[in-house]
Amino acid sequence: MRIEKCYFCSKSVYPGHGSAFVRNDAKVFRFCTSKCHKNFKMKRNPRKVRWTKAFRKAAGKEMVIDSTIDFEKRRNVPVRYDRDLLQTTLHAMKRVAEVKKRREHAFWKNRMATSREKLKAHRKKVSESRTAVRLLEPVADKSSPERIKTKIKGAEKRTSALVVGEGRSMSMEID
Amino acid sequence: MSRLRRSRTHKAQRDVHRASRTRARTRDLDQIQLIDLDPKNRAKLEAQELDYEKPGLAQHYCVECAKYYETDSALQSHWRSKVHKRRCKALKEPAYTIEESERAAGLGRDKKREIAAAAESDIAMSPAVVIFYLLYSLS
Repeated sequence: MRIEKCYFCSKSVYPGHGSAFVRNDAKVFRFCTSKCHKNFKMKRNPRKVRWTKAFRKAAGKEMVIDSTIDFEKRRNVPVRYDRDLLQTTLHAMKRVAEVKKRREHAFWKNRMATSREKLKAHRKKVSESRTAVRLLEPVADKSSPERIKTKIKGAEKRTSALVVGEGRSMSMEID
Repeated sequence: MSRLRRSRTHKAQRDVHRASRTRARTRDLDQIQLIDLDPKNRAKLEAQELDYEKPGLAQHYCVECAKYYETDSALQSHWRSKVHKRRCKALKEPAYTIEESERAAGLGRDKKREIAAAAESDIAMSPAVVIFYLLYSLS
């Protein structure tokens, strides 16, 4: 029995779980969940989807080069059962996992430290730029004369079309 | 507040489920990049025999987009289009394959000779590594 890897998210697919798609060129695509299968059907690139392992590796968020990664391999060689061999293998697996965990933690810590420094530098830059240039509100110009309402003598009285004999009605002019 | 976004903004992608049926499957990027774009295969694809089942009798085929066109002018205008240019850009970077998904999971492919050579050359290694290589020299 083999533990396969999901094509989309690279999670382990245990026997009896997930689904597989066989393309017409006989390539087998394994999926851990329907979520991954759907994303595959949408033709998304796992390298650009943030929650996949492929993205995390491509974006430098996880260890890529390390000797502890090289142990897990698809070895198409049948090994005859040997009690001692199995015991030493199991022991080695545990030990490798231990080392890997420690190294991953160190990698993460280092990554966080650099990103924190970056963030700090960015914040400093922003705050400096804020203090350097201060935008002032435009001040009202007092030299210009104020608007004064004045009455104009002899202003025309408004004529109404509704009142007869006011000039705009439809009555005929009579000399 | 008014609605900010309309339901279907562009691309006219009405029915994603219908488009993703197996029978409506088109060639994947890795197939195009690794097989179709090879000059030999490309020449074969661009000069296909008359096929009455295919659009335009299979005479106007875009290799990058894996699509048949009815006329030569349609193919020409497709080459000038944004869809085609976007596809060309996507084909420039290496396509995602099953091998890459396995590599991302930390599952390598074994090459026996390489391991044997590494075991001989690397002496100063962590105890776990030594144990593991010993195992493989044993088996």
